[in-house]
Amino acid sequence: MLNKTTISCILLSFWSLSSYAEDIPITGSVESKCIVTQDTAGVYGNPSPESLTTASASGGVHPVVRYDVIQADYYMAKITHPTSFSESPVLNDVVDFTGSTSVDQVSDASMSAYDTNKVEYDNVTEIDLSVAGSTWFKVESTADYGYDKAFPGGQYQAVVTAECIAI
Amino acid sequence: MKYVMLLLIILYSGRATAHEFTPTYPKLEQSYMEGVLKVSMRLFNKRNDIRYYQVGVYDDDWNKVPFVVMGGKIINVEYLETKNFDVYIQSKSRKKVRYICTMSKTLQDGKTKTLLKSRICSKVK
Repeated sequence: MLNKTTISCILLSFWSLSSYAEDIPITGSVESKCIVTQDTAGVYGNPSPESLTTASASGGVHPVVRYDVIQADYYMAKITHPTSFSESPVLNDVVDFTGSTSVDQVSDASMSAYDTNKVEYDNVTEIDLSVAGSTWFKVESTADYGYDKAFPGGQYQAVVTAECIAI
Repeated sequence: MKYVMLLLIILYSGRATAHEFTPTYPKLEQSYMEGVLKVSMRLFNKRNDIRYYQVGVYDDDWNKVPFVVMGGKIINVEYLETKNFDVYIQSKSRKKVRYICTMSKTLQDGKTKTLLKSRICSKVK
């Protein structure tokens, strides 16, 4: 006659000897979204006393921003190049800002049409992201101080705004 | 030369930092409070230079619409952190609400350069 303790021991030993295979699921979903990535931080070069520019020929680095969209025609990119410094020494003359935004690299050849289809006004460039994938936009920015006046020594910062707006 | 270019590309790709805000088309739902609707949003911060994002709600003409986010309109999201949050809007504003956005808040760091402010807007249809 087996008592309860013996039965429990037998069951436990069976359980410990048996091995189990567990399936561990990895779940994920692909949904419409826009990702804005700072690919390259911009740097102002100072080729002449009165000028600051991101042009590489003048010692600067153009900021590059990447847009990733999962589905076409869901988002619009809106890139604003600077019209003022967010940080600078005291400036007592006018600073003339110029700039532009253009396609730098694409993950799909048809995205090169963005440059011809873009809408520009003031310091803003709008692009309908009509192709799924990644697009790199290069922003150029130049600041000229007064009438051939030398920028005072110090640190200068300006802000590029990259927006991705659902349409 | 090509190895130098390859190294530069790898270094640059490693520095990429991103801002992600979903869903694209959120839906207004009834909250636990009468007369208040809520929208559930998700923000992923892959920008290692950004710790704070500001939430904004706008109508069709980009006028501000009153809203509340628990903990404040500026939310702290650490690098590689995902934050789920609810935006509470009065029921009477239901027809006005069109865009829900998050914008990165940049810090000055005293270097001669350009900063990138990123803003992503979802649309309430």
